Amino acid sequence: MTADLDTPLNNDKELVARTQGGDPGAFDELIVKYTPRLYGLVYHMTSNHEDTNDLLQDIFSKAYRSMANFRGNSSFYTWMHSIAVNMTINFLKKRNRRQHPSLNDPDSNIENDPDFIAATSKGDPTKEVSIHELQKKLNAAMQKLSHDHRIVVTMFDIQGVPHAEIAKILKISEGTVRSRLFYAHRQLQNSLHEFKKN
Amino acid sequence: MHKVIKLKRYEQPPEGYYEDFLREFHRRQRAELLNPSLSTLLLERLSGLFSELRVPAMAFAGAAAVAVIASIAIIRETPRQETPRVHSVSYTPTMPYSQVPVTIQNVQNMQPVSLRVEMPTSSKPQGGSMLFPPSYLLQARPANHESPLSF
Repeated sequence: MTADLDTPLNNDKELVARTQGGDPGAFDELIVKYTPRLYGLVYHMTSNHEDTNDLLQDIFSKAYRSMANFRGNSSFYTWMHSIAVNMTINFLKKRNRRQHPSLNDPDSNIENDPDFIAATSKGDPTKEVSIHELQKKLNAAMQKLSHDHRIVVTMFDIQGVPHAEIAKILKISEGTVRSRLFYAHRQLQNSLHEFKKN
Repeated sequence: MHKVIKLKRYEQPPEGYYEDFLREFHRRQRAELLNPSLSTLLLERLSGLFSELRVPAMAFAGAAAVAVIASIAIIRETPRQETPRVHSVSYTPTMPYSQVPVTIQNVQNMQPVSLRVEMPTSSKPQGGSMLFPPSYLLQARPANHESPLSF
């Protein structure tokens, strides 16, 4: 995921300029490039695939309409993420904290992930926790977090966005990002206390 | 904790989702063009109207300023509504009605209207009494229509 951050921003600039010049194909390239990352951001905030899909369509639609106003003061990456974050938080406020089940179709690669193996079995097969149970617990714990805390956890812990970049996207200081992360982790630890014991 | 949360990155959309996403985006864009929302239509009409007017840009600012000044003047000129003052005076009789003294000063006035003739008083000027005919005063007492003489 962090590899996406290393994509040359000059390429973005060129695509943005072409889009502003009236080339819709250039914006298609931006969509293809940013959809997986933004999908993760929105999905981990909403925990619902259908909501994520609709919201993501709206996010790109709004970005396309606002392209003429994009002056390039920040990178396209930051600008796009800001739109996504604002629209997602507005959506969540409207949804009024409805609970949705998570995707029940996780990537099968998770079973080979060393972190997953370490976190679930710890070498003892009797203590294995199923993927679905772990996902359920994680999602439930995430949903307990406030929007502000959930967004920093999503960006930092799941997507690997650095503190400085999160601060730019959310228009807050790096110190605030760190303190929100600290508080969110403490809350998650309390929620996953039972899992940790196992 | 960080490692555990990181596991959520394995939650992925259904296979082929990203390929379909762009197609869906284009489809929605076309649909939006065919069925524009009310706000979009209104915005387009307004922008079209203003572009046809060919009014200098400063004119809009001037018109807005005039409107603001006029509204302020109207608000200031509006007379303050006088709220009627309410005086509450409570009437308390000094003595019971039964004890109020009643004096009948002029018995003549108690006669029926048909029989009573009011003569000019002495305070009136002498010459003036002949100019005005005697006036008949209607008193509260009803007139008696019975014949005064009965045989």
